[in-house]
Amino acid sequence: MIRIDWSIVFQIINFIVLVLLLVRFLFKPVVQALENRSKHIEEQISAADKAKKEAEDLRMKLEEEAQKIQEKYLEMIEEANIEAAKIKENIINEAYQEAEKIKKEYEKKAQKEVEKLFSQLKEEVVDIVEAIVVKILKAQITPEVQTQLIDELLGEALSQIEAQMEVSYEK
Amino acid sequence: MKNEVVRVITPFPLIEEQKEIIKKHLSRLSPQEDFVLQEEVDPSILGGVIIIWEEMLIDCSVKTQLQKIKERILKEVS
Repeated sequence: MIRIDWSIVFQIINFIVLVLLLVRFLFKPVVQALENRSKHIEEQISAADKAKKEAEDLRMKLEEEAQKIQEKYLEMIEEANIEAAKIKENIINEAYQEAEKIKKEYEKKAQKEVEKLFSQLKEEVVDIVEAIVVKILKAQITPEVQTQLIDELLGEALSQIEAQMEVSYEK
Repeated sequence: MKNEVVRVITPFPLIEEQKEIIKKHLSRLSPQEDFVLQEEVDPSILGGVIIIWEEMLIDCSVKTQLQKIKERILKEVS
C-alpha cells in the first residue's frame, strides 16, 4: 500500500498557492510597472526625438534666414556700390562740366582782353602813323602841290556830284 | 550872270591860279552863275579845299582824306 506523505502534499499545495499569489500580487504589478516604465521611456525618447527634430528644423530655418540676410546684405552692398559709382560719376561729370564752363569763360575773357589790347594797339599805331603822315604832309604840301590837290580832289568830287545828279534826273 | 557867294576853306591863302581852278570846277555845276569866293584859312585841314555853297558841302581836304583812310584801316585790320 502506498503511503502518502501529506506533509509533502501540503508543501506542494503551499508552493502552488505561493506561486499563484506571487503571480497575482507581485509579478503582474512588476510587469505593469516595467511596461509603464518602458512606455514612459519611449515617450521621453519620442519627445526628445520630436524636440531634436524641432531644434533641427529651427536650426535649418535660422540658417535659411541667415542665408537670406547674408544675400540681402550682399545685395544691399552691391546696390550701395552701384549707387556710389553713379554718384561718383555724376560728381566727376559735374566737376568736369564746371571746369569746362570756367575754362570757356576764361578763354572768352582772355579773347576779349586780347581783342581789346589789339584794338588799342591798332589805334595807337594808326594814331602814330597819322601823326607822322601829317608831319610829312605839312612839309611836303607846297603851293604847287596845293594847286594840284585842289584841281584833282575838287575835280573828282564834282564828277561824283554830277554823276549823282544824273542818277537823280534819270529817276 | 548871277553872283553866288561860296565859302572856300584852305590851309593857306589862295593864289590866283587856285581861285581860277575852283571857279572853273564850280561852273561845271552851274554854268550861269558867277562865283564869288569867300576865303577862309584853316591850317588844320593840311591840304586841299572845303567848299560850302548854300546847303552843299564839298570836302576835298587832305585831313578828311586821311581820316577816311584811317577809318578804313581800323575797320579792315580787325
